[in-house]
Amino acid sequence: MASPCEVIVETSDKALAQKVGKLVANEVWRIEDKYSRYDKRSLCYQINNNDDRSISIDNETFLLLEFSNTCYLLSEGLFDITSGVLRKVWCFDGSDNVPSIEKVSEILPKIGWSHVNYSETSLTLPKGMEIDLGGIGKEYAVDRAILLIKEFTDLPVLVNLGGDLAATSARNNNQAWQVGIEHPGFEQSQPIVISLLSGALATSGDAKRYLLKDGIRYSHILNAKTGWPIVDAPRSITVNAPQCIQAGILATLALMQGQQAENFLNEQTIKFWAVR
Amino acid sequence: MQLNSKDDQKQKIDLKSALSLATTALLGTATLANAAESVNKDNWSFDTAFLYYGESNRVTASEGIIAATKTFNDDKTLNLKLTVDALTGASANGAVAQPNVQTFTRPSGNGQFQVSAGEVPLDDTFRDTRVQLNAQWTQPIAPDYTASVGGHISKEYDYLSLGINSNLAFDFNKKNSTFSVGMSFFKDTFSPEGGIPNAFSSMVINTNAESEDENEFKQSRLTDSDNKTTVDLMLGFSQIINRRMVMQFNYSYSMVDGYLTDPFKMLSVVDQEGLAQYYLYESRPDKRTKQSFFAQTKYHFEKNILDFSYRYMWDDWQINSHTIDSRLRMPLSGSSYIEPHIRYYQQGAADFYQPFLQQAASLPNFASADYRIGEMNAYTVGIKYGMTMSGGNDLSFRLEYYSQQPTSAGHAEPGVLANMEIYQGVDAVIAQVSYSF
Repeated sequence: MASPCEVIVETSDKALAQKVGKLVANEVWRIEDKYSRYDKRSLCYQINNNDDRSISIDNETFLLLEFSNTCYLLSEGLFDITSGVLRKVWCFDGSDNVPSIEKVSEILPKIGWSHVNYSETSLTLPKGMEIDLGGIGKEYAVDRAILLIKEFTDLPVLVNLGGDLAATSARNNNQAWQVGIEHPGFEQSQPIVISLLSGALATSGDAKRYLLKDGIRYSHILNAKTGWPIVDAPRSITVNAPQCIQAGILATLALMQGQQAENFLNEQTIKFWAVR
Repeated sequence: MQLNSKDDQKQKIDLKSALSLATTALLGTATLANAAESVNKDNWSFDTAFLYYGESNRVTASEGIIAATKTFNDDKTLNLKLTVDALTGASANGAVAQPNVQTFTRPSGNGQFQVSAGEVPLDDTFRDTRVQLNAQWTQPIAPDYTASVGGHISKEYDYLSLGINSNLAFDFNKKNSTFSVGMSFFKDTFSPEGGIPNAFSSMVINTNAESEDENEFKQSRLTDSDNKTTVDLMLGFSQIINRRMVMQFNYSYSMVDGYLTDPFKMLSVVDQEGLAQYYLYESRPDKRTKQSFFAQTKYHFEKNILDFSYRYMWDDWQINSHTIDSRLRMPLSGSSYIEPHIRYYQQGAADFYQPFLQQAASLPNFASADYRIGEMNAYTVGIKYGMTMSGGNDLSFRLEYYSQQPTSAGHAEPGVLANMEIYQGVDAVIAQVSYSF
């Protein structure tokens, strides 16, 4: 997952805690192996390199596509899992390397969820297009881990995959989990400490991933319709929701509203913490 | 979802619940309860169904059901169910077919009817409307304990049934196992038109003036009404085996006490030639103890869900039966499914069942020619199609074929009876439409 991951089990039974840890690790690795777009053995890699041919998919993949489809529809196309190809021109390394308008326009025909055909059992991706489940994969892994843990034990457990996290229940004696949200790179911002009784937290935005040119800060949240970064978005938004994947998508959709991000979440009566 | 547009508040709220539903679909049923809670709490939900049951040349029944469930914030639920059904048609009265015309008195004593040669005698005055109301209250009473109590009332023209029930369920093993105990009590009162006939009294056939025989008809009647009580005890155990499989085991013990005879059923008394000489009303014991064992498993494959169950029932009338039932739910797309259904039923006869009585033999303590307690095989094949409509309401259609074939338990068929159809099968069609909202 390219970020530190942890599982906290509230128990004095070391063997049990290790079992829970192993359970989560196996599930997270399974999801990573299946949906990493870098790993040539992954299903995602095969989908992206199948040259217009239909490829058979399993139920889990179908459900993830359905979820992505819902997000695409709800965001009126702003959130699009085929927008990962923009990576070819956008490299958010903190430099001033902003691509030309022409280069971005060349990529745009390769983006568009509506061009993807899929059913419960198969998927056909036009050549040159790619899907990237990175926007929901980590949060999905958190939720899957929580489901597996709940089948295994009633103990309070918190799963944290690089800042996207969820708890199975409140801690013993109904105490809240104290979760610190770090914002590395924002020199002046105080770390936020959130009391989490149950449910999930997900954070979108990353201090290190941006471009700066002529005094304009380009965030790494791209508008899938224009190919250009969202302007005037908060640097980071943390959202609380019952499931991690919900929290994650709400945080991302909020950032996509730019200046209106906080309004957007307020109107939805969603609990969030934004850093500008 | 453009923020600047003037979407009203409702549409904005919809985003949250739309995401919540999408998350439920993605992560499976485990989170369904939570999602449903946030959406459905404190609302009534309704299930309605209309069912048609039609036997070829015999009984047809129409049934309407409306059930309402309200879930309160603290997981208490109230379920109310109203069932209305209407039955009309003819059912076998127990007498055997004969090579000549037979005459019978209607069960009410008012009038007669004739049955052609070679035909299985059917009583065609079968007509009834039943109204049934059930209420059930369920609530958690302590962590891992759920209690439920309910009441039942059912009224027909000549029948009243009152019942109460209670159930206690205990979850353990991280809620993967549930043990339950239940008990119910019913009191049924039967007051058929024309009263209840004396056991083994002869059916009076008044060929001439009706007044002449009225006294005699009355003498064949014991009383106007009678009743029975039923006590059921149930033990249940369900176990989640893994993510895909759940199993359920039930045992039930049932004691029925009181009037268990069917006042409309009779037996032909035949001579050595197999010719009916007269007809006697049937007689059954006034106690019956039934036990049954039930096992069910549901298995969720990648797409399909298999539901398979087996029931073994036995009682002290020496009836025993095996029921095998299986359904396979196959999703067609995200929102619709088809579900084929196969059921097989095999029953052994009660020890006092006999298709007719022989004049030469002495009268047994009990006897009944009711095909429903005789030896039989039956099967049902059917298919259901269901869909979730936009807005989340469920609509389904079910069509089934039922075939019941009584078989001979080895009773000799003297004289003319060898050429008569004694064990006549019943074929029926069942159609149902259900809608939940």
